[in-house]
Formats: sequence, C-alpha cells, structure tokens
Amino acid sequence: MIPSSPPKPAQERVPEFVEESLYEVHKKVHPRAVSGIFATWRWALVWFTQLVYYGLCWLPWNGRQAVLFDLAERKFYILGMIFWPQDVFFLAILLIISAYSLFLFTAVGGRLWCGYACPQTVYTEIFTWIEQKIEGERNARIKLDSSPMSGRKLWLRTAKHGSWALVALWTGFTFVGYFTPIKSLWDAVWSFSLGPWETFWMFFYGAFTYIFAGHMREQVCKHMCPYARFQGVMFDPDTLTITYDTERGEPRGPRKKGVDPKSIAKGECVDCGICVQVCPTGIDIRDGLQYECIGCAACIDACDQVMEKMAYPKGLIRYSTEHAIEQHWGWKEIVGHVIRPRVLIYSAILGAICVAFVWGIANKASLRVDVIRDRATLAREVEGGLIENVYRLHVINVSEAPHRYSISVSGLPGIDMTGERIVEVPAAAARSISVQVRVPPESGKKGSNQIFFDVKSLADEKVAVHEKASFLQP
Amino acid sequence: MQKIFWVLWPSFLVAGIAEGLFFTVIDPQELYLFGEPVHLSKIATYSVGFFGFWAVCAASSLMTCFLQRSAAEVNKGVGVHPRPGDSTGS
Repeated sequence: MIPSSPPKPAQERVPEFVEESLYEVHKKVHPRAVSGIFATWRWALVWFTQLVYYGLCWLPWNGRQAVLFDLAERKFYILGMIFWPQDVFFLAILLIISAYSLFLFTAVGGRLWCGYACPQTVYTEIFTWIEQKIEGERNARIKLDSSPMSGRKLWLRTAKHGSWALVALWTGFTFVGYFTPIKSLWDAVWSFSLGPWETFWMFFYGAFTYIFAGHMREQVCKHMCPYARFQGVMFDPDTLTITYDTERGEPRGPRKKGVDPKSIAKGECVDCGICVQVCPTGIDIRDGLQYECIGCAACIDACDQVMEKMAYPKGLIRYSTEHAIEQHWGWKEIVGHVIRPRVLIYSAILGAICVAFVWGIANKASLRVDVIRDRATLAREVEGGLIENVYRLHVINVSEAPHRYSISVSGLPGIDMTGERIVEVPAAAARSISVQVRVPPESGKKGSNQIFFDVKSLADEKVAVHEKASFLQP
Repeated sequence: MQKIFWVLWPSFLVAGIAEGLFFTVIDPQELYLFGEPVHLSKIATYSVGFFGFWAVCAASSLMTCFLQRSAAEVNKGVGVHPRPGDSTGS
C-alpha cells in the first residue's frame, strides 16, 4: 500500500491508502530468431533430447518396452534391467549423481543446463519456432499482437494454438507411454478405450507443456524454477558466464559501418539493441550478470553477426569468466583455471558415486528371498513329537528368464522341512510359498535359534541366496 | 494471481517428491481406507495420492501466505489508524 494523497490539514490527518501492486506488469517477450554456433548447439540438443524422449518409449526389448516405469506392477524396466521397489537405493544414487553433475557443470560452465538441455528451454524453442513459422518474425508478431481481431489474425492464432496443442498432446501421450505400455495405449486411443486416469494424465501433462512452453516461457525460469534461484552459489570468479566486455564496448553508441571506434572516442558496442531483442528472458546482458540470464548464448550469436558486419573482432559478448575479463585472459588461461578446488571436489564426489553406482548395477542380485515367520502359530508340536515353525518365503526372480529354485534349510541338528522343495518362478516375478520347518524337541536351545534357508537356482550355481531366520523352540 | 502461484507451485513440486518417496516405500495394496483395503486400481491410488499430497502441501503454503500478511493488512478496515513506521505491506 502506498499513501497516494497529498498531506491534509491537521484536523483530519488520516492518510488515504489505496492498493497498488508493486509488481511490474508482465510484457510479452517476442524473441527475435537467431542463428549461429550456439543456436546450432541448442537445436542439436533439442533434436537429441526429443528423439530420446519421443522415441525411447517405442523401442522394443526382449518382447517388451525397453523403458517402462510400470507403476501398476511396481517394476521399472530400463533396457536389460528390472528395478523393484527394493532397488530404491539406485534411484537415490541416480538423483545424487544428477545433482552433482549439475553442480559440476554449473561451477565450470555456468547455466549450461538451462541454456541448452532444460525441457523448459527445449519446448520453448520448439513452440517459438512454430510461432515464428506461423505468425512471422519478431516485428510481424508484435504488429499482430497490437492489431485488432480480423479474419487473418483469427486464422493465424487458430493455426498457432492448434499446432501447439498437437505438440503438447503428443508430449502428454508420450509421457503416459512411459508408465503404460505405449503400444496398447496407442491402440486404446484409436478404439476410444483409454482408461480415465491415463486420459487425465495425458491431458494434464499436455496442458502443462502448452501453458509452460507456449504462454509462460521465461516466467517459469524467472519466477518458478528453484535452480535459477540457487545456481549462484555454485558460481565463482572462474565460472564461465555470458559476459559483455564492458571495457571494450563502452561508451556505446551508433556509428557508420566500419568506423574505427577510437576515431569517434567510443567503444565497440554500436547499441543496436539486437542482444536485447534475441533474449528469451528479455534482459539486457550489458547490465552485467543477472539471475534471469539462462545462459542460452543467443546474444553472443546475435552480437557476433553485428561485429562481423561492422568488421570488428567478434566476442564483444562471449563466454568468459569474471577473472578473465578483469585480467584480459585468453582461452588458454581460462581453461587453465578450470582445475580448482571446487571443481576437483565436485568431480571427486561425482566420480566416486558413479563408480559405486556402476558397481552396484553390475552386481545387482538376480534372486531375492524374504523370509517371514508366521507369527500366528508360533511353535507347535506335530506328529512324532517334532516341533514345527511355519515360514513364508517370498522368492523374487529379478532376472528376465524363468528359473527353478531348490529350497533347503539348515542350522539345527535334525532340521527338515515340508512343503515345496522346488519352486518355479517366471521371469521378473515373485512367488510366495509356505514352508513348515520341523526339528526334534531336544535340538537347539529354548527360545530363538538361528537357522538358514538356502535358495539356489537349478540352472546356475551362482544364483543363490543364504537367508537367515529364527526358529522358536518352546 | 501471484498468490495462487505461490500456493500451488511449490506445493506441486513438494507433492511430486512426497508422492515418489511414499509410494516407493509403500505398496498401495497395503493401504487401508476406513479399515477396508483400498479397492481402487494402483494407478488410481497413485493419482489420488498425488492430489492428496498436493492439497496438503497447498494448505501449508496457503497458511504461510496467510501468516505473512503484515500488521497493516490485518488491521485494514477495523478502524485502527496506521501509525507512522508501520510496515506498508506486501
């Protein structure tokens, strides 16, 4: 609230208060199209990430979908591997690896993730491309925005939103296809037999894509992304950022082509404003490093083209570091400063976790056995004076082939079991079997005794589990 | 509008994390609703679970927003004249 009225006479000194938003009114950013080496890199990553995203779910593997997060069966299939809820450890490690990779990349190269690979950037790139193909370049779009509604505008808008909606729907469909086998999902779409939740999540994810990439764009990065807020803590003076060389550029000002800046007492910035026009977040990089800068390097590409036209050296805006700008370093010194304690620590931790992860995956057990003692019956005496305990064995075949396992028990003199001794478990499945273990009454001590179940694959000696359990002697 | 985002967005992110952690550890079939096993399909349980988490997290965010109001905002319209040096609100 801001006092808005001038001071009033003393007898009625109640200032009038009015609500006034202190927020800047959002203006739509119409980024100008840009070409150049970094734009090419970004497009390469758009293609790469989206081929993986849209394509991977269609890849077959051993007669099933190669990558499928089967929530209903609580099994994650990733290429040749199957992960069960018990493998959540690997998911945790994977998240730690992602976090440390992000830290490392950020410390060395700044916001590389944001500028090139983040889905928000990638889909904004795709949606802006569609917009540009339909509505025209930046100026045409600004003009169209301010023009009154007409037949042509209506047609352009319908075409644009329609195309966006198609891409968004396909994205939503693909998303659901990672959780429900995509081929059956595809068939269900055409026979109008999609499940209610599948339909819902498809439209939910599609709507998110449409709103985020079509309408909100840079606002997601500026106001909603947590990473944008804390990336600064991983920066140091040797981190590569997109930097305007103030010393070289200032004082900025317009001039004729090819004029030597020294002869007119100016810097090399011609103040054309193209770096601002291409910026997807609508900032002016010449104001220095800002948290809004997503590091997309569009301004570098744009400025380099202007510099080329002016016959000035490129790189007035370039990837550089705070130290490099201060001390006029070239690439050699910048690269020489990549190795520093922060980078070494991030790399060491990341390396160690990656090794542990790969080792863990390579040595992942292909058989798991959980033994649960039947608590309802405790111990009881059966025929022949033997003491019996009942157990449930949960035999999980984690491999992709069916297996037959033998079950045996040991650990007490005269111990034996009844129930299935050979159990067949299909590929990637679990079976629960009931086992009665019997021992003579004089065997072991009163109370809890340790016994062992051995479950061994008949086909492969190495696939075996030696599982502890306790036997209760009354 | 701003407040809607402050409430819905952080709660969405946290609900996603909570959903992941909760259902990794707990099988929906082990859940009971008013003493009865849950009869919904797993996908339905996951979905309902996510919106449940979202709602709870949103309630927390809403509470934060609510308690963040300054004295001036709370006192507005109850006849208390703003004193000099009062916070001017959001």
